[in-house]
Amino acid sequence: MIETVLASLDTVFLYAFAGCAFLSAALMLFLKEPMRVALALISCMVFLGGVYGLLGVHFIAAFQVLIYVGAVMVFMVYAIMLLDPRDESMKVRYSHFLWPGAVGYVLLVEALAAGVMNDLPGPPRGPAGEPFSLKAFSEAFLSEYWLHFELTSVLLVAAVVAALAVIRVNRKESRG
Amino acid sequence: MLADLFVSVLFIVYAISVLMGFGTILTWVERKQAAVMADRIGANRAYIRIPGTQVKLVWWGLFHGMADGLKMLVKEDWKPRTYDWYAYAVAPWVVFTPVLLVFAVIPFGGVLHPSQLWAPLAAFFGDKSYPMQIATLDGGLLIIFAFSGMTIIGAMLAGWSSSNKFALLGALRAGSQMISYELVLGLTLLGLILIYGTVNLDAMVRHQSGTVLGFLPAWGIVYQPFAATLFLTAAIAENKRIPFDLPEAESELIAGYYTEYSAMKMGLFMFAEFIEIAIIGALFTTFFLGGYNLPYMNDAGFAFPGGGTAALPHGAVVVTQMATFLAKVFLLCSFQILIRWSLPRFRYDQVLTFAWKFMFPLALINLVVTAVVMWALGK
Repeated sequence: MIETVLASLDTVFLYAFAGCAFLSAALMLFLKEPMRVALALISCMVFLGGVYGLLGVHFIAAFQVLIYVGAVMVFMVYAIMLLDPRDESMKVRYSHFLWPGAVGYVLLVEALAAGVMNDLPGPPRGPAGEPFSLKAFSEAFLSEYWLHFELTSVLLVAAVVAALAVIRVNRKESRG
Repeated sequence: MLADLFVSVLFIVYAISVLMGFGTILTWVERKQAAVMADRIGANRAYIRIPGTQVKLVWWGLFHGMADGLKMLVKEDWKPRTYDWYAYAVAPWVVFTPVLLVFAVIPFGGVLHPSQLWAPLAAFFGDKSYPMQIATLDGGLLIIFAFSGMTIIGAMLAGWSSSNKFALLGALRAGSQMISYELVLGLTLLGLILIYGTVNLDAMVRHQSGTVLGFLPAWGIVYQPFAATLFLTAAIAENKRIPFDLPEAESELIAGYYTEYSAMKMGLFMFAEFIEIAIIGALFTTFFLGGYNLPYMNDAGFAFPGGGTAALPHGAVVVTQMATFLAKVFLLCSFQILIRWSLPRFRYDQVLTFAWKFMFPLALINLVVTAVVMWALGK
């Protein structure tokens, strides 16, 4: 009895974590206050980390929490901490793009569901049938994917510059 | 399967009781050691009287920890009318839980063979063996950084949700300081990863059980004395203790980010701080002081530099390793408390300047020198 429970424990936890991740992602969309939104996103990231861990790639789980929670969300919380909670713009729940966004979401879900219907790949394996280890990950990362990684960081720099530019434009307008 | 579950539960219970034990004992050590350093008697008033007699057990004030816990449990749980009650309620747990979780990947002993320990156990366990650590993961070091990064969010949430200017200032200080020192903390360990060639903590400890230069134990502190100093400094700053306790500097900010917390919620912040002292001790032991092994010791017994060996029975090895680990951690905790009662507090701009303009470059230089030496040695 207890043996079968233990054998299926992984699956139970996997579904629980996936469900919680989905729930927090949904909460992130529907909550209004910035700090709550950030907290929902943090819990979503942590649960996703749990999903990765249960699928046997512990270091991806560690990276997930380390990068998204430990770095990205720390800065977001830091910034949100300095917002004025009485700001009028926080009372607006949805943007003007609610309906186009909802239609796009439905289309996306349909596309994803079509993809999921096809056979799901098994847990990632290295070349020799070994569980995907940190060593295999590092080698693949530095031989095959380093260009993509560097390109992503270039994109991020571009995004930072763009964000600064947007702030500048808005400032000029408000000053008239 | 059942045997695995039993051992896992046993290890988890052991780890949690060790951490809780350290948390409680350290509140007493902190006061008693401060008293000894200042040539005072220190904590000596809490006692237990044996019922019906006048015999009072003082035990050097050891019961002060229990008295503290009792006081915090029965104190009024005062709730401020904050802007965000949810963040306020969740913040102490966001600080406390990751501190406990970090211990999951720290090895507190070598490999346990239950059947060699006591022959009748073989009927239940077979000839299985268990590494004495809760989670044996090949990315252990990454897990440590992943979890320790989460406490920053807790500290900031606590300060922000308290709706108190002192608390918000404390949260800002905590955020900036912890982000800065976490970077230094990570950089100091990169040199060790280069030398050991792994981020698996158990493999790191095994790497340290040999000798270097013929007679020195191959401990991390021998390879990287500089990184060890930087690591301990950055870790104390990360734990926000004197001389880096600016986020809770009582003469400026009352109690900083947990000003508005009372009773056991405040106790959780304090408890997390004391447990983190033990965690820092455990991490430093694992990275730099040969982990659970005595010098020249390995899972089979001793291998002395002259070539002599002394084999030990398995039970003796297990007990020695666990006791060695606890003793090393305790000594390091005591050393951290020594620092806390020796140095005056920095000014806040000094704390950040110290991180970015002094420790960060030093950690980088250490890493570059290590990399060049490893390259020159052809490894």
